[in-house]
Amino acid sequence: MGDASTTLSVSDVKHVMRRTGFGAHPKDLKKLLKRLGSNPTRGALADLLLAERPLFYELKPNTGNASEKNNQLVAHNNWIHELTKNKTPLRSKLVLFFHDHFATQNSVVELMPVMSAQIRRLHEQVFGNFKTFLGEMNRDPALMAMLDTPSNTSFTPNENYGRELLELFSLGEKDLAGNPNYTQNDVIQIARAFSGWGYVSSTVNFHGPVFSTHLHDTDTEHPERGPKIVFQSTGGFGPQGRSLKSLGEGAQEIDRVTEILFQHRDSDGQSTVARRLTRKLLRYFCHDAYATPGPAEIAVIDEIIAQSGFAATWELAPLYRAIFTHDVFFETAALPPFSSTTRKAVKWPVDYFVTMLRLTGVSLRTSHRIVIGGSNSDAHSHLALAGQSLLEPPSVFGWDWDTAWLASSMLLARYRMARDVIAARSGGFRPKKLIDTSLTDPGAIVDAVARSLGIDDQVSAADRQVYVDYLTDDGARTTIDLKDKDVLSTKLHGLYGLVMQSPAFLLH
Amino acid sequence: MTISRRRFLQGTAAGALLGPTVFNHLLVRRALASPGDDRYLVVIYLDGGNDGLNTITPLDDGGATLRQAYDALRPAGVGNIALPVDVLLPIGADPGTGANLGLHPALRGIHDLHTEKGCVAFVQGCGYPNYSLSHSTAKRTWQLGRPASANQVTGWLGRHLAAAYGPSDVPGVTVDVSLAPEMRQFTTNVLSMRGVADMSFPYDAAAPGDVAAKRAAFQATCLGAVADAQAQAAFAARGGLVTLTSGESYAAVGELYESARPSWNDRYDAVNRRLGDDLREVAKVIYGVEQGVPNVTARYFQCRSPGYDTHADQGGASLNGRHGSLLAELGDSLKVFYEDLEDIGAADRVLVMVWSEFSRRPNARTGSDHGSQGPMLLIGGGVAGGVYGNHPNIAPISLASDGNTPYSQATGDPFRSTDFRDVYGSVLKQWLGVAHQDVLGLLPVDAGPASSYWTVENFDLPLFSA
Repeated sequence: MGDASTTLSVSDVKHVMRRTGFGAHPKDLKKLLKRLGSNPTRGALADLLLAERPLFYELKPNTGNASEKNNQLVAHNNWIHELTKNKTPLRSKLVLFFHDHFATQNSVVELMPVMSAQIRRLHEQVFGNFKTFLGEMNRDPALMAMLDTPSNTSFTPNENYGRELLELFSLGEKDLAGNPNYTQNDVIQIARAFSGWGYVSSTVNFHGPVFSTHLHDTDTEHPERGPKIVFQSTGGFGPQGRSLKSLGEGAQEIDRVTEILFQHRDSDGQSTVARRLTRKLLRYFCHDAYATPGPAEIAVIDEIIAQSGFAATWELAPLYRAIFTHDVFFETAALPPFSSTTRKAVKWPVDYFVTMLRLTGVSLRTSHRIVIGGSNSDAHSHLALAGQSLLEPPSVFGWDWDTAWLASSMLLARYRMARDVIAARSGGFRPKKLIDTSLTDPGAIVDAVARSLGIDDQVSAADRQVYVDYLTDDGARTTIDLKDKDVLSTKLHGLYGLVMQSPAFLLH
Repeated sequence: MTISRRRFLQGTAAGALLGPTVFNHLLVRRALASPGDDRYLVVIYLDGGNDGLNTITPLDDGGATLRQAYDALRPAGVGNIALPVDVLLPIGADPGTGANLGLHPALRGIHDLHTEKGCVAFVQGCGYPNYSLSHSTAKRTWQLGRPASANQVTGWLGRHLAAAYGPSDVPGVTVDVSLAPEMRQFTTNVLSMRGVADMSFPYDAAAPGDVAAKRAAFQATCLGAVADAQAQAAFAARGGLVTLTSGESYAAVGELYESARPSWNDRYDAVNRRLGDDLREVAKVIYGVEQGVPNVTARYFQCRSPGYDTHADQGGASLNGRHGSLLAELGDSLKVFYEDLEDIGAADRVLVMVWSEFSRRPNARTGSDHGSQGPMLLIGGGVAGGVYGNHPNIAPISLASDGNTPYSQATGDPFRSTDFRDVYGSVLKQWLGVAHQDVLGLLPVDAGPASSYWTVENFDLPLFSA
C-alpha cells in the first residue's frame, strides 16, 4: 500500500507525466526529476503539478470567417495548436475532462463567442470549487443554448436543461447501488426553476445571462403546476423533500437548486455528487473499471473522497491530489509483459495527437494548422475521423471512452496521424533532433526512439525484437547507418511510425 | 438442429486455423448454410428520439378518439407542429382502434415503397415497461436489448454475431466513425467506417519500397499484443489486424460499385443527405459481397441518422422544418437504397429495421419533450407490408403522470403496446433463422417481477412473407 510519501521510480514519474499531461518528453522529465531532487515522492510530484497554474489560454472567438462553421474550425485548430505548445498540460487535461462533462456542441450554440466564453470558464474553474463551478455552468450561455434554457418559459416549459443537470452534471440517473437518484417530478420542478433564463446575442457578441421575471414559471402564475418541491423520495431529505423557492426567484432559486444537489445523499447515505464526480475522474485518470464499479472500486472512491474532504469542501485540487497519490492511479503504470489482469486505458484521440506532436516537435503550420508533408489534413480533419472533434462532442453525453475510441475508422485515423508526422519531411519532423543519429546498433536505436517518445518502459522485449528485425530487414544487416539519408528517411522515419501506431503508444 | 457457424468451425480442421495467425490469410469462408446465411440486416438508428406521433398520425378517430385527442394535444397555430389531416399520406388502419393512419408528408419515399411494393411493415407502439426518458438509458436499453444494467456492455446484435461468427470473420460494418453499440461484442469483428474509401491503410508515400517491411512489423506488434491478453492492448491490436486486412479489400469495393453502377451512384448524389450517403456505402459492400470480392463478407450493417431531439423548432408538415427535413432524408434515402438493391438482385434478402430510443410527448406546441413508445419500421422484399401493433393511447385523460402515453401489455387492450424485443426476436428467429431457445439467450429475461419487464416473448410477429 502506497501513499503520498511513497517514493517514485523514474518510470513512475513518466507515468504521471503521461497521465496528467501529454507524454514524458525527455527534456521535461529531466527538469522534473531535478526539481524533485532528493525527495521524489508521489505527494511532492502532485504538489508540483498542482502548484503550476499559470494564466489560462483564451480560445479566440474568431468571428471574422465566412461561416459559423469556419469560425468553429479555426477555433478548434487554434485550440489544438495551443495544446501542443502550452506549459500547463494538467490544466489542459482537466479542461478536456470537463469539456466532456459539460458537453456542449457549437453546432447547436452556433456562436463561437458564446462557446469560447464557456471554454474560458472551464479554464478558470478546473482547479476551483466544484459547487461554485456548477453554479457558474448553470449560468453559462453556451450550455443554456445547448439545452434549450432560453425556450424554457412559463408558457412553454422545456425539461432539457433540468434533466441533464440532474442526470449528467450532478447526480447521475442512478446511484452506485442502482437506485434512482431523482424522479420525473424532480426534473419538472427543477426545469421550472430554470425558466426565464437566457442571454442576448448578436453575430459577434453576446451578453448575459439574463433573467426575465415574466418568463419565469411561478406557483402563483400556474397554481395547477403546484409548488416546487423536490426530492421527496430520494436524496435523504425525507418525505417533505426540499422546497426550491424559500429564498426567492431567479438567481436565488437556481443557486438553491445547486445547494440542494450538493446535499443530496444516495441510497448508501453517501454524497451523490461527490461519488459521481470522483468516479468519473478515476475513470479518466486511471482505468475503465470505474465505468462499472464493483465493491473494490466503490471502496477506493469513498477513500479518496474521505482523504480529500471533497464531500465537505468541494475543493477540486485536494481531490486531484488524493487521486494522484493513491495506488489506484499507479495501476496503469504496469511494465510489460502484461497479463489479463494488467490495467491500461486508451488515450483520448486529442491526447494521442497532441502527445505525438509534442514529443516529435512537429508543429501545426499555416492558418489551417496542418502537418506539412503528409496528407495535408488539418488538425480538425484528423481528430474528427479519430472520433474527437473539440467544440463538437457527439451529444450532451460527451464522448464514449476507452475501447469505444478504437473502432476501426478511428484507429485508421490515428494511424494516419502517425503517418503524417513521419511524412512531415518539410514540416518539422527532424529525428536528428530527437535521437543521436551516430548510433549504429539497431537495439540501441530502438531504445533511443522509444525513450524520445516517452514509452521506453512500455515496449516489451518481443516488440523491441520486432523493431530490430524491421530495422535490419530480418537480420540482412547488423548495423544501421543513420548518416545515410535514405536509411534515415526510410527506416528511422518508419520506426517512429511503427512505435506511434503500436498499442504501447495508443494506451497509457 | 442448426449448427452455428462458429461451432461448426470449431469442430473441423478449419477450427485449427482460428488462432491470431489466421489474420495472415483472411479468406471468404462459406460455412454450413443456415437460413440467415445469404441474408442481410441493416439497422438504422434515428438518434435523439423520433416523434412517433408526427411520423404515423391518426387521420380520424376510429372506434376511439385518436384524432380528437391529437388535435387537443397538438393544436394548430403559428410555429406549431400540428399535422393537418389533408397533408398526411394514408397507410391503412390502426389494428387496435380501426382509425385510419397517415405518414408525415415528408415520408413520401416510404409511402411510395408501401403503396408500390408492399414492402414496409409499420410496427406501432414499440417500447418497454418502466420506460426511461433519459437518452442514454433509453438508447442503451434498445442497443443492449434489455433494460440497461451497469455491467452489461454487449449489444443484442453483437451477442448474435459472437455466437455465429469467429475471431477471423468480419460479419459487420457500422457506417459511422464509432462502432454501433448494438453490435458490440468481444468475439468477432465489426468494422466502422464513414465510407469504404476510408479503409485503406496509411503508408508513408516517400518510402514505397519499405511497405512490406512496415506491414510485417505492424502485424507482428499487433499479434504480440493480441497474445498477451491485456484487454485494451488486445482490443487495439485486433482492431489493427482487421483494419490492415480489410483496408486492403474494402477500398476496392468502392471503385467496383462506382464503375459498375454509375446511375445509382448519381441517384444517391441527388438525395444529397447523410443517410443516403451512408446507405450507399452499405450498398457498395452488399454489391461487393454479391460479386464475391475477397475478404468482403459483411452481412450486418448499422447507420445512424442524428438530429431527432426536437425540443424546440421542430416544425410541422413542412419538408424544410427540422423534423420534416429529417423524415424526408429517411424516406428519400431508403427509397433509392431499396431500388438499388432490387437492381442488384438482393432486395428480397435485405431487411432494413428502423428504430429510435423513444418517441416524444404528445402534448406539444413548437417542440416536444422526451416521450415513451413509438413506431419501428421494417422494410425489405421479404417483409409482409402493413400496419402492425397498436397506436398508443393519446387520450389526454389516459396519459401517464409524466404526460406520456402509458405502456400497456394488457391482453385485449386496443392500445396494447409492442415490446421492442419481440420485434428483435422476430427478426432473429424468422429472418435470421436463430432457434427460439437461442433467441431467448440473446434477449434474456431480466430478473425481477415478470410484470416489470419483458412481457412478450413469442417472436412470432407475422412480419415476413412466407
